[in-house]
Formats: sequence, C-alpha cells, structure tokens
Amino acid sequence: MISIDKYAYSSKLKHTDPLQKVTFALLTLAVCLWADNLIISVAVIFIMGGMTVSGGGTPLRFYIKLLLLPVSFLIIGVSTVAVNISEQPESLLAAIPVAGIWIGVSNEGLQEAIKLFFKALGAVSCLYFLSLSTPMVDLLAALRRLRMPKLLVELMGLVYRFIFVLLETADTIYNAQNCRMGYSSLTAGYRSLGSLISMLFIKSYKRSDELYTALEARGYEGELNVLEETYEKHWKGYVLAVTINVILVLSSIALKQV
Amino acid sequence: MIENILEVKDLHYTYIDGTHALKGVTLDIKQGMTTAVLGGNGAGKSTLFLSLNGTLKPTAGKVLFKGLQLDYSRKGLRDLRKSVGIVFQDPDSQLFSASVLQDISFGPINMKLPEEEVRKRVNAAMDRIGISHLKDKPTHCLSFGQKKRVAIAGVLAMEPEVLVLDEPTAGLDPMGVSEIMKLLRKIQKDLGLSVVISTHDIDIVPLYCDYAYVMDQGRIVLEGTPKEVFAHRDEIRSVNLRLPRIGHLMEILKEKDDFEFSENANTISEARKALNDWKKRKTT
Repeated sequence: MISIDKYAYSSKLKHTDPLQKVTFALLTLAVCLWADNLIISVAVIFIMGGMTVSGGGTPLRFYIKLLLLPVSFLIIGVSTVAVNISEQPESLLAAIPVAGIWIGVSNEGLQEAIKLFFKALGAVSCLYFLSLSTPMVDLLAALRRLRMPKLLVELMGLVYRFIFVLLETADTIYNAQNCRMGYSSLTAGYRSLGSLISMLFIKSYKRSDELYTALEARGYEGELNVLEETYEKHWKGYVLAVTINVILVLSSIALKQV
Repeated sequence: MIENILEVKDLHYTYIDGTHALKGVTLDIKQGMTTAVLGGNGAGKSTLFLSLNGTLKPTAGKVLFKGLQLDYSRKGLRDLRKSVGIVFQDPDSQLFSASVLQDISFGPINMKLPEEEVRKRVNAAMDRIGISHLKDKPTHCLSFGQKKRVAIAGVLAMEPEVLVLDEPTAGLDPMGVSEIMKLLRKIQKDLGLSVVISTHDIDIVPLYCDYAYVMDQGRIVLEGTPKEVFAHRDEIRSVNLRLPRIGHLMEILKEKDDFEFSENANTISEARKALNDWKKRKTT
C-alpha cells in the first residue's frame, strides 16, 4: 500500500488535473461493467495498464505484481460460478460424481467465469490507474471540487496523514518489544500485541490533543481550509476519456451484434 | 529603548490533575531579540509557552502583549495568534496535511487573507526557510529536520511578531542544530522578529541568544544575558543544567591549572580570545 503511494507521487501523470483522471477512471470503469464482454474487459485492462505503465511511468513488474494481488481472490470467487451441479454428466466438461449427482464444470459456466474474471480485473485496472497516478492529496482536492461533504474530506485527509505516523509508532513499539523477547512465544506474542494496541490508542489520543492545540495556535476554527493546487485548464484529458470510452461502447455494441 | 513585546507577571498555572506547573513566573520578552528559556525536564517551559498565546488561561497572574492584557475572547485569541506564533516540539503533531504546501497555507488562510496574498506568503516562507524544493513532497516522506522546517514555515507564513519555539533543536543532528539556529537568527534579524526558544541544549544559548531565563519547578531562578546567567555556576548546576562545555573547560583551566582570565568565556571564539589575551600577558 505504501509503495502505491510512492509510485503515485513519482507518476508522470501527477501534475494532470486529478478531476480529469477521476473522470477517465470512473467512466472507463462504468463502461467496463456495463459492456460485460470479454474482449472489452481485456481491452480496458490493456488501455489502463498502458496508461499507468507507459503514461505514468510505473514499473511494469510492479504493476503486474499488483494486478496479481486480487487474482487469488478472483479465482476463488469465479470458481463458484464455474462449478455447477448437474444430474446429467453429459452437460459438463469435467465432473466428479458425489452421492448420485455430478459436480463439475460446464461450458457456459466456464465462459461466464472467465468473463467475470476479466471484468473484475478490468475494473481493478481502472482503480489502479487512479491510485497509481493520483496522490491522495490531489484526490482529496478533486473530491472537494466535486462538492463532497467537507467533514468527510477533512477526515480522509487526517486519516491518510496519520496512518503513516501510526505505522511508525507501531513499528517502534513492536521493535522495542521484540528486542525484549516480547514475541518469543505465542502467549508472549499475544500479550505484547495487546499492549501494543492499547499503547497505540493512548498515544493516538495524546497526539490528537497535541494536534488540536497546534492547529488552534494557527487559528483553527473548525475547518481545515488550505490552498488548493492550481491546474492548467485544458480539455485534452476529458476529450481523451470520452473518445476512448465512446470507442469502447461502440465496439461493445458491434460485438454484441456479431 | 528596548520595548517588551510580551510581559508575564506573576503567572500561576495549575492543571486539572492538580499539578502546579507555574508558580509565579515573571519575565519579559524583549522586542527584536532572541530570548532563551532554559530548564530541565518538567520545569514548566511548555506550560509557560502555551500561556503566551492564550492556549492556557492562567490560574493567577497575567500575560501582556504590547502592554495590553491578553483578551481570552474568541476574537481576542484570534488576533493574538496572528501575532504570536508557536512552533511545537514534535512536527508530527503539528503537520496535519500530507501536502507541504497545504500545511503551510493553513495559517494564512485562517487569517482570511485573499488567495493571492496567501500564495505570496507561503512561497516567501518556504524561500526563507529553504524548503521550496520540498513543495511537492508528501509530509510523510520528509526527514525529521525537514518536517521541523515545514512546521516553522507554517507559522512564519502568518508573519507573526513573536515566534515561540518549543525545543527547536530537540532530535536534530549536530549539523541540523546549528543550521536551524543560524536560520532562526537570520530570520529574526531580517524581519525584526522577537524569538523565544525553550531548550536544554546549553551550548546554543551563548551562541544564538541575547537573553536567557532559567526555570526550575515552575519558577524563574536566574535571568540575564547568557554571560551573566552562566556566571552563576552553582545555581545552574543545582537545577539539573550545566555550563556550556567551553565555559566548563575555562572554569577548570582557571581553578585547577592557574590560568587567569579577566572574564568568563562560553563560546569557542570567546575562549580563543581569552586564551590569546592570557598568552600575551604572560609573554610581556
């Protein structure tokens, strides 16, 4: 997760207007889900992957590793679609008999499963495009411009900022415990983990108190207003997003008629 | 005439849990100078600092800004905080945004300045602190020293008249310490700021501070120029502090090795001068 964050900051697409990227990602996501077509799904994976890797500069190896992350979940998920129960073994490609019925894979089931698999992966590639090209700060700015409730955006921003502080604190406590044999046995491990978690709560509470004092010292009055990054206004991104998706929609209609 | 920009008069503060943190503190912060508040752990420095911008309302006694008693109303505090900026010890408790630029802009935006002016101030503050190259970096990728600088820039962008820094050198490496102190000195001179720092880093005091107060258990026990303060060796040691290393060396040379110095030296350049004087006197 933290490396996604790092790649997002070093992406070549970082300086494009986040709203354009959000539009592109969500539009393509919607089309991918709507089309429900194997070829379109694969096309979306390639378009989004290409945009992320060659457009954004994310290393291909890392990108493929990331795409493989959801694969294990997907295989478990789609296998329930692929596997059918039938009384006639002829309708199944391969089957095993269990207590008088047959459990196996049918042709339609398999096709449905493959389609579902790539549809999900296509959707994932859309979100990866967004998260690998848009740092959280920019994404929050886009959400603010989309009139998301202020409180929610502020909360997301604070959570994002302090995840890293929390991780660091947890890491320090873990190391300190580990150095004193805190995880040498299972019971010791559970005990240490328990105190680590409660320490984190206490420290977080203290830190929130300090943060509040520090914010107040800079004139905090209930709203975290900050300067927004300015972006050059051009329509290229939107035009590209719409063009690609119109092509996808048209080809999916064409594919349906074949 | 040296004007006192902040005056603290017989200040008492008791926390809800009964800790009597300040027991009658009286001190003046002089306009356009760097004032150090020295003291061991738990001497009451942080409590004192939080009283300077009205975060803590004293149980007794008063704080005056430019001769006027602090106004603890909402509006009064808002005005005060434009003028008295505090940089906290742990930058991770001060930086709330993952974006350096956004964090620095927070103060000026709260001052309801027009966007142009905010942008100008943010850029000026970043330039002054030397962190313009960090503008696009996320906060969590910065080093401790860089975070500290961002925290200072965030307060400086509000263009306060008094800059209060709680332990500005804590946690920095030796190079970082001298860099940040030189930077603060420069800002103070360039902008005519009044700077207040708390520290138990003794050696920086004679180098970078004009005036010093020594606190112990909620009281001021010594005050004066660094030279005057460090002349009270026994008192300094009795409150868990020590002399600057050079001052200590000069004391040993004087008392154990029969050197004769006309005045106390606490910095390398002062010691060099004193030793050279001694050499000259000996040869003539």
